[in-house]
Amino acid sequence: MSPHDKFDRVTRRNFLRGAAYGSLGLAMGIEGLARAGQDSAFAAEKPLAEVVLVRNEAAVDAGHLVNSAVVAEMLDTAMKSFTGESEIAKAWQRYFRPQDNVGIKYTRCSWHRIHVNQAVLDAITDRLIAGGVARSRVTANDFGLPVKDCTALLNVPTVKVHALTGIAVSIKNYINFAGNRSSYHFDGSSKLGETWLLPEVKGKTRLIVVDMLRPYFGPGPQINPLHQWDYRAILVGTDPVAIDTVCLSICQKKRNLFKGEEWLITPPPRSLAAADSVYHLGTSDPTKIKLTRLGWAKEQLI
Amino acid sequence: MRAFLILIGLGLLAPPMARADENMLRLPQQVLGWKIDGPDKVFSRQTIFDYMDGGGEIYLAYDFQQLLAREYVRPNAPRIVAEVYRMASSGDAYGVFTHDTDGQSVAVGQGALYSAGLLRFWKDRFFVRLQAEDETAEVKTILMALGRQIALGIPQSGKTPSLLMALPLQGLIESSVHYFHTSVSLNIHYFLDGSNSLNLNSGTEAILARYRQSSDKPYLLIVRYPKRGDARAAFEQFSRAYLRETPTGNAVLRKLDKGQFAGGRQEETVLLLVFEAGSHEGAEKLLELAASRIKGVTP
Repeated sequence: MSPHDKFDRVTRRNFLRGAAYGSLGLAMGIEGLARAGQDSAFAAEKPLAEVVLVRNEAAVDAGHLVNSAVVAEMLDTAMKSFTGESEIAKAWQRYFRPQDNVGIKYTRCSWHRIHVNQAVLDAITDRLIAGGVARSRVTANDFGLPVKDCTALLNVPTVKVHALTGIAVSIKNYINFAGNRSSYHFDGSSKLGETWLLPEVKGKTRLIVVDMLRPYFGPGPQINPLHQWDYRAILVGTDPVAIDTVCLSICQKKRNLFKGEEWLITPPPRSLAAADSVYHLGTSDPTKIKLTRLGWAKEQLI
Repeated sequence: MRAFLILIGLGLLAPPMARADENMLRLPQQVLGWKIDGPDKVFSRQTIFDYMDGGGEIYLAYDFQQLLAREYVRPNAPRIVAEVYRMASSGDAYGVFTHDTDGQSVAVGQGALYSAGLLRFWKDRFFVRLQAEDETAEVKTILMALGRQIALGIPQSGKTPSLLMALPLQGLIESSVHYFHTSVSLNIHYFLDGSNSLNLNSGTEAILARYRQSSDKPYLLIVRYPKRGDARAAFEQFSRAYLRETPTGNAVLRKLDKGQFAGGRQEETVLLLVFEAGSHEGAEKLLELAASRIKGVTP
């Protein structure tokens, strides 16, 4: 039996059995996700994974324009908190060395879809260089990143609820490394975790920086502006499953707020469940994740 | 020839862009000062992923034929992208339109929604999306003008799916109606299971809708199969997988978790299914009303 078969047995009834917020987890057969509503969620004392969430109200203005200087500050705050370093350069040097060929895998779509903001990419690139990596050794791309030549990967996704995958953050961001991309959308995208284990990819991801300035929570596939909101956040971590779990939880709460009732993220994010239980890329158990929340607290949703 | 292929491979020469076929709409050259920017882009069922990687499946779940995308610009104003999706039938144009029902209803084509710089409408076999880069004071005016101009260029109206006639009207939440064919769509609007127990496919038609019944909001799912035997097979499979019961007659209704009722009823080639009803009576009433209406509906 394929380890993915258990996801096929999931039905709506599993949702209905679960408490409102934990139902996603129960439905996926992951007890951890079902614990998202518990007091200990995202507050692990002995965490398997740590994630830093930094928000700043000034990061995006009323016209949805991104403030580059504020974004750079947010990134610095996140990196200092995540590493415990007081100097920015040292924080980045923990993950990237001068001899590394760094590939920044970001999400880039046409303007009428959800893509990583240039301000985020610029801030990251500047700090890699300030940390000692030569500009010539830094390559940033969505498609066509020369991943075989990269010694280190920096995963820079956006956040969007996805009509086929459930949620698309860091795990799905590597789909472009696979040959037949659309094949990963079958079976609820449960095999997306495979892309992290491709020989040219495996073990190279040093850091994940999530652009959650303007995430998307609608059914897609293109943007309905009603379903995009200025959350104004940057997240930093190294565990893709933990990071995606945090983003999933935030998006689920936003959907519920939007509809005024539970509006489940569907289809269930099998890719997240499988990344944990099949591919062992990290933890989706909120009680094993420590989330550090910094900055603007209004409608934090987690 | 070889040098030509090498140049294409290096990206120095772009391969010729596909052209819109004779059935595609002719879009306006300009609207209120916004003019065409760059060549049109045309995509088929085979190439739609080149336009929206990771999203084409939603359109392919319907009988999508061709997409024409054109951008309009005006100095110091938001860019506008116009997308025209030509479907094989008016029913599928309507279906794609119901994929996302959030927005303000406006009068364009046979049905339209506007939301903060995005206008969507359908008419005949066409589903049209007009999206502005930002919403400004004049954007809605421009999008409505462009939308109406495009709609006028579609000479005739199309029929809505006849299956819609089976929906009971009492308590119907109109914005909750989705028309589709496959489990890809169903699982976005209402995740039922991971194994497609209803055997939905390109040959089935389905409508999902929600109702107000006292304090409850049950779902009604209506599926029409090509043959009676297909409907029966799906009914039995669904009942076993979801209700844990093998139907002996043409109807099953069960109390499930948290006091919610779910069940189904077979009417010839059609399955009527109810989910999350707050009472046995409520579920039965919805099924009965739908059953009485489906009798007069022909494919």
